[in-house]
Amino acid sequence: MRIFFILLKKEIKEMLTIPLIVSLVAVLFVFYMIGSVVGKQNKTSAARNNVVVLDFDKSGLSKRIIKSLTDGEYIVKDASSGNLLDAFSNHEYEEESFFMVIPKGLERDFNLEKKHTIEIYARFNKNLSGYSSSYSASKIRKGIERINKDLGVHIIEKKFPLANVEFIKNPVLMEEFVVIGDSIARVSVKRVLLFVHSQTYFFPIAVFFLVFMAAQMIMTAVAGEKENKTLETLLSSPIDRRILVISKLSAAAIVAALLSGGYMFGMRSFMSGIMGQKTAGIALSAQDAFVKLGLIMGPADYLMIGVSLLFCILCALVIALILGVLSEDVKSVGATMTPLMMLIMISYLLPMFIDIGRASFVVKLLLYSIPFTHAFIAPQNILAHNHAAVMWGIVYQAVIFAIFVTIAGKIFSGEALLTFKLRFGKSK
Amino acid sequence: MSKVCNILPMSAVNVLNLVKKYKDFEAVKGLSFDIKEREIFALVGPNGVGKSTTLKMLSTILSPTGGSVEIFGLDIVKDSKEIRKIISYLPEEAGAYKTLTGYEYLRFMASIFFRDKKQVLKTVEYGAEICGLKDKLKDKVKTYSKGMTRKLLLSRAVMIKPRFAILDEPTSGLDILNSFEIRKIIKQLAKDGMTVLLSSHNMFEIEFLSDRLGIMNNGKLLACGAPRDLKEKFSTNDLEEVFIKLIQ
Repeated sequence: MRIFFILLKKEIKEMLTIPLIVSLVAVLFVFYMIGSVVGKQNKTSAARNNVVVLDFDKSGLSKRIIKSLTDGEYIVKDASSGNLLDAFSNHEYEEESFFMVIPKGLERDFNLEKKHTIEIYARFNKNLSGYSSSYSASKIRKGIERINKDLGVHIIEKKFPLANVEFIKNPVLMEEFVVIGDSIARVSVKRVLLFVHSQTYFFPIAVFFLVFMAAQMIMTAVAGEKENKTLETLLSSPIDRRILVISKLSAAAIVAALLSGGYMFGMRSFMSGIMGQKTAGIALSAQDAFVKLGLIMGPADYLMIGVSLLFCILCALVIALILGVLSEDVKSVGATMTPLMMLIMISYLLPMFIDIGRASFVVKLLLYSIPFTHAFIAPQNILAHNHAAVMWGIVYQAVIFAIFVTIAGKIFSGEALLTFKLRFGKSK
Repeated sequence: MSKVCNILPMSAVNVLNLVKKYKDFEAVKGLSFDIKEREIFALVGPNGVGKSTTLKMLSTILSPTGGSVEIFGLDIVKDSKEIRKIISYLPEEAGAYKTLTGYEYLRFMASIFFRDKKQVLKTVEYGAEICGLKDKLKDKVKTYSKGMTRKLLLSRAVMIKPRFAILDEPTSGLDILNSFEIRKIIKQLAKDGMTVLLSSHNMFEIEFLSDRLGIMNNGKLLACGAPRDLKEKFSTNDLEEVFIKLIQ
């Protein structure tokens, strides 16, 4: 154990360099800065509920339409004194993106039950960037729905003064239920999906960062030792070669966990800046339903996810260790890492876009045979009460880890460590 | 079996008909020589003749394809773990861990060999004395010149006082002053009781340092003996001429 800690300390010191820490701090700062700027900007965009109205009808109906908008917390700016082009070019409205034209004769045609058109103009900003345009589109759609609903009520009130308007508006009450495993709860699907998304969004990103960084570090460490010939010095010393392997794996896992934690912290501030309190509000309002559905993870669930993640990292580390041995020098690490990167990318990206349960046999085989997939999908499986899938995933990961550790052990105990070489391009 | 060198059974190191093959390439072809205790033995020859491969086999990091090597009575294949406790190997153009200071590097290497903290400290102090880097030992290795790094590595290799030191091109790429200092250190270590095997293609260095030498070409030993004996045998005043005559 003494030698293990001596080697571990040395490995961590080698891996956790000042440039690496500086780059981490810089990334954290950029994440935080972008998150807070985007958050503020989006809040400002979301808060802009302005509608520039050109009311050419000046009737009771047009006033009702405008009132419907103001009741819906829209700020109505009246530009009826000029035409639409004047409104577009007017400096007062240069920041506005929502323009509404109420045409002359609207009330008259309405009373004659003739359809008339209210024109809506959505003006994009000059570079089509950011979220402002999508906010505008959403507001316009909601505004139109509001006006139509209100005009519908107006017609009913006018034609059937004794009618129960509220009943006609919603003759059937709809209730949504969500079923997960044996649990049923009254809650909207949208809320559940948003909650599940908020619970599982960061996890694959964290796993990706963690696995990628750990793999890269251990490969660089091994290739660097080969290049520097420090490995030859260690191999000719009385160090047990198994301890040499374990210390490298442990150091890479520790440093990667630290860096990944840092990246996740930055990513979280970035995402919370963008998403704000949206998901937090949803979680609070439907807490009981989520508990009933078993969506609130307990310590045992976190433990299972943790074990799956641990084996995922260990598998990546031991494969990276073998690939590091194949690297001729530090420069060739990038190329040698490609097979591992491909596996990580497949297991990270595919489950984001496809439903594995409904995928073809070949896709399922591909995904489940990659040990990293089991960690990426562990939270979803836990939330879906599919604990068995997580357990089998862990067993599979452990088997893969054992196989690769045996291979790595054989490589480190023999001379292959020094004679194995993958060359890219011209050989010397 | 090669008859170039007379092998004495009581020698510190006995190399007998040593062979190393890599797929279709035979790097070492039946090498035999011995090294007496406290002797400096040099393997001489141009690049790529199998010197480093031989040294790596004696350091237990490469396995021989054929033949045998005994170091102080221990077999390099069967007793590799025991051998690693009594040898020290300095690879050619090796580096040290750049993020460590010179002092930290010496302490790290001493800790591998010794459990007792006092012994570690004593070993590091000895290493510091040998390399003569003084206050520079507090600086990171990445700030060292090539000569400083080589001195640090040499002191690392010998500070543990191994019974047998294997030094691959100890002065390779160094300037005159640094080479001179390192040669002096090696000479003193042998006087103090260390058995040394080194490789070089610098004939001047070999003549200055070695008690005996083996001249290698194409994985084979062409001649073996004390520098003076070889020069006499080939009727020349220069080891380089001996080498050229042997190759021709």
